Amino acid sequence: MTQLALVIDLNVCVGCHACVTSCKEWNTSGWAGPMTDQRPYGKDPSGTFFNRVQTFEVGQYPNTETVHFPKSCLHCEEPPCVPVCPTGASYKREEDGIVLVDYDKCIGCKYCSWACPYGAREIDEKQRVMKKCTLCVDRIYDEGLPETERKPACVLACPTNARLFGDVHDPDSNVSVMIREEGGYPLMPEWGTKPANHYLPRRKTRLRIHEDELLRADNPLKKEGQLPAPPGDMPTLDDITSW
Amino acid sequence: MKQQEFKEISGGKPFYMVLGFFGLFVLAALGSAWYMEHNGHWVTGMNNQIVWGMPHVFAVFLIVAASGALNVASISSVFQKTAYKPLARLSGLLAIALLVGGLAVLVLDLGRPDRLIVAMTYYNFKSIFAWNIILYTGFMVVVGIYLWMMMERKMNRFTKVAGFSAFIWRLILTTGTGSIFGFLVARSAYDTAIMAPMFIVMSFSFGLAIFILVLMGLYNWSDRPLGDSILFKLKNLLGVFVGSVLYFVLAYHLTNLYITRDHGVEEFILLNGGIYTSLFWIVQVGLGSLVPLALLYGPSTGQSRGWIGIASLLVIIGGLAQMYVIIIGGQAFPMEMFPGKEVSSAFYDGVVGSYTPSLPEIILGIGGVAIALAATFVGVRVLRFLPSSLADEAVDPHYPAREAEATA
Repeated sequence: MTQLALVIDLNVCVGCHACVTSCKEWNTSGWAGPMTDQRPYGKDPSGTFFNRVQTFEVGQYPNTETVHFPKSCLHCEEPPCVPVCPTGASYKREEDGIVLVDYDKCIGCKYCSWACPYGAREIDEKQRVMKKCTLCVDRIYDEGLPETERKPACVLACPTNARLFGDVHDPDSNVSVMIREEGGYPLMPEWGTKPANHYLPRRKTRLRIHEDELLRADNPLKKEGQLPAPPGDMPTLDDITSW
Repeated sequence: MKQQEFKEISGGKPFYMVLGFFGLFVLAALGSAWYMEHNGHWVTGMNNQIVWGMPHVFAVFLIVAASGALNVASISSVFQKTAYKPLARLSGLLAIALLVGGLAVLVLDLGRPDRLIVAMTYYNFKSIFAWNIILYTGFMVVVGIYLWMMMERKMNRFTKVAGFSAFIWRLILTTGTGSIFGFLVARSAYDTAIMAPMFIVMSFSFGLAIFILVLMGLYNWSDRPLGDSILFKLKNLLGVFVGSVLYFVLAYHLTNLYITRDHGVEEFILLNGGIYTSLFWIVQVGLGSLVPLALLYGPSTGQSRGWIGIASLLVIIGGLAQMYVIIIGGQAFPMEMFPGKEVSSAFYDGVVGSYTPSLPEIILGIGGVAIALAATFVGVRVLRFLPSSLADEAVDPHYPAREAEATA
């Protein structure tokens, strides 16, 4: 079974919000839209977003670092939001594992938002139905687009390639290789929700160099010392050679 | 004990004036619902952290109280206490009316109340919410049949069976309501099996408090005698229920306090949760439980109708506070995204959710109470729900013996 998902590399995410804006742009004007905003340029702006970049300060001063953490629906393999939906509006697609909301069946009871432990669901306050990331389902199968563009908008927009898209059930896919080889992990695995989206950890590369490696171990000078200076009355090379 | 005579209350101008008074609140509630639907949910205090607000506090309270209001009838039909039999009809009527009031608020607070038909036609049987839709509508049918069996003389012999079915149904119903919270793993305040039995005991308490007030109000208004005997029975029972709710609250918090993982949410509710902590200690535990207990069992206050009424009112206020703490306090406490870490971000993660109920939400909630009261009032006007007398000699099976004792 296919399980499409995103793999997000926290090591290279710079928190530029390009994924947020491209997601909003694609989805607000398409099948999932409108994702209405209230006071977008005023005080206390609010609105519907499928994807948000959270920025965390990690550690205690002075040992701190900033982590940018993009979060959207994780398309869990055992999504807790699906069984709780009274009308079955919230569902998981058999064919590719994408968790979707049928906007025509959603009655806006918001119970799924109680059930999601990741806080990924947002109500569209104007349309008054529950919304969330669709993995750009209206784009990834669009044969009118060149094949390289059949990816979620956020993946295409990421300037540092921090977002990868693919089938996490296919062991040879790009995303599976990254999860396997770069220590990809799901968010809160202890819930048993088996999130399909994975994160690649912050990775610090440090060279371990021993001090002696910086010195020339076989430096003859070190062992033998400087040669003694010849006596002053000795003939020079110029005196004894005939070049 | 004499054969009970049931009579409608009298109509006329005073009746319509009271009905009009309730109608004003209902109209205001409908206006609020329209305003919230028309403008979108941002005119409410709700947001993506606190998704259920004040209307749900009222709705869940009324639904829980509805099943509890049926208790008086259950005591007579299921547990064969004849003294409660004259009250059984009112108990059934009030149960249906409270449920209608609660459901009205619940439906009008949905994002899409216009899609009620979808909720009625598409069922996901894995969802406790879908089960509740069936349980609520079924409750009205079952209690309706129960009332019919009680009120139609030819059907009286089925009263016990119908009463027993209604009793079982109401236990399942409140289990369903409590499980809306009990089955939630995502938020630290819930995810516990005690929610279902706690809601059942809460329903006993809130339902009976409302029943006592409605009974006193109706008998006072219609100038019918209401004896001490039945009232004191009810108030003693209320005291037991209030104490039981406290016990469940204690067991719930002690369990959480024992589990280190839940210390965060306990600290939030019990110590530093601001409004939620105040509501818990001052309103729910103090005014809503300890004070009524003292009033109901106090040697002088326990014998005074005024104080019994005040105690019942306090139980209702405490119950609303308890719902507020459970529903809104539980949502306000941040979800644990990174267990063991202190988290804060620009998008609410790790931050205590903020919620201030807006006026339309409060009006909608109060409208639900008005619907319930108006429905009860109309019910007792058009059908024979109320005994013409609840004086001691009419209801107390031991009255002649007591009377003889008193005169001797």
